[in-house]
Amino acid sequence: MAGKTGENVKDPRIIAFVCNWCTYSGADLAGTSRMKYADNIRVIKLPCSGRIDPLFIVEAFKKGAKGVLVSGCHPGDCHYTSGNYHSRRKYAAFRDLLNYLGVDLNRVEFSWISASEGNKWVSVVSEFTEKIKSLPDVHDIFSSR
Amino acid sequence: MNKNKIDEKLQKTAKGLLESKAVNVVIGWTKGSNPFRMRPVFITKPEDVNKLYFNPHCVQDLAVFLKKPEVKKFGRTGIVVKGCDEKALNTLIQEYQVLRDELKIIGVECMGVIRQNIADKGESNLLETTVYDKCLICDVHTPLIYDYLVESDIPEIKISGSVKPYAKIKELDSMLVEGRDKFWQKEFDKCIKCYACRQVCPLCYCSRCIVEKNMPQWIDTNIEETGNAQWNMIRAYHLSGRCIGCGECERACPVNIPLMLINEKMARDIYEKFGYRSGIDINSKPVFGTFSESDFNEFIK
Repeated sequence: MAGKTGENVKDPRIIAFVCNWCTYSGADLAGTSRMKYADNIRVIKLPCSGRIDPLFIVEAFKKGAKGVLVSGCHPGDCHYTSGNYHSRRKYAAFRDLLNYLGVDLNRVEFSWISASEGNKWVSVVSEFTEKIKSLPDVHDIFSSR
Repeated sequence: MNKNKIDEKLQKTAKGLLESKAVNVVIGWTKGSNPFRMRPVFITKPEDVNKLYFNPHCVQDLAVFLKKPEVKKFGRTGIVVKGCDEKALNTLIQEYQVLRDELKIIGVECMGVIRQNIADKGESNLLETTVYDKCLICDVHTPLIYDYLVESDIPEIKISGSVKPYAKIKELDSMLVEGRDKFWQKEFDKCIKCYACRQVCPLCYCSRCIVEKNMPQWIDTNIEETGNAQWNMIRAYHLSGRCIGCGECERACPVNIPLMLINEKMARDIYEKFGYRSGIDINSKPVFGTFSESDFNEFIK
């Protein structure tokens, strides 16, 4: 998987943290509808986007992920009423911190995908995978060399 | 012993509080091992109040002691605070860590404190070049909340603008991401994971810190690149929107990692995005304890 530093990674591992209620169902819909998308993504299902601790993202990078996608219900649609609002606030700050500490923000993606948006899941994943593939394989402070 | 007005009023206030049993302990500063060092002191008897002093060498944020069980057992506590330390009290009150009614706040007017490393060389003048960066941007020379105020006769520092507080933040912001990565990698490389930054922080009060949780182990405890970066990142993240900028973490750091550059940057970002400043209003909700439907959404697809 790992290429030489500076070269693009041909087959990057991408981790997606998704909420159980919207995005996971959306991804499921994409699957049952036999839509095709890049197979670099590994989906980890959690109860709510509010459960996705920023440490998960850091851990994914540490374990060698080249990109991390975080996805949950659209604002207003959270199964637990407000989990996604809370996480949005957290991620806005966390993104700034990552950027400030020298992590390329192209490697972290956030999206709202509902259970009926199988096609959005496909396009988000495909675009993100393409973007990660186009980035040089650099090591940042969270990925050991 | 020549007493000045500040110390006299401070000692009188503390004596009154202890004699009337309004508080069981007063936390303040006393003279340290040399004239340029002050240290924290706990006064429980009215006759000991003449140990209390205040001067521009009182760098420690005494609010840190309020989280300790040894101090909590005293019950009602009197605490001597500078403006910045008092903001820590506000945040603790906001987060239900201390009760306002259990505290007697003795605020002292502070015009700035001298950098400890400079003071150790014998400096005792309050100058633009000798105080901490936080003092140059300080807007709480008089604490926001106090029960008793000890006025100061120390004149304000003359600010000519030659020293630019936290100038490095702007520099880092204008760098490419690789530049910042390089800078922080070099800084975090020094970290020895002593957790002094956590111990000295008045707002790091978890009885079990995330680094001590090992099922699963989120933060590598060994001293290597990823673990160091993770620790410094999570410390800063847990304090974003909460840090009141007392600068104790940076002062305590034995390897001089410029932690305030991260804290100050996060405080600015939080203000920019959510219009929230920590430690100002004890009745407001912590910034991450609440949300708005119109929050910053641009980064989400």
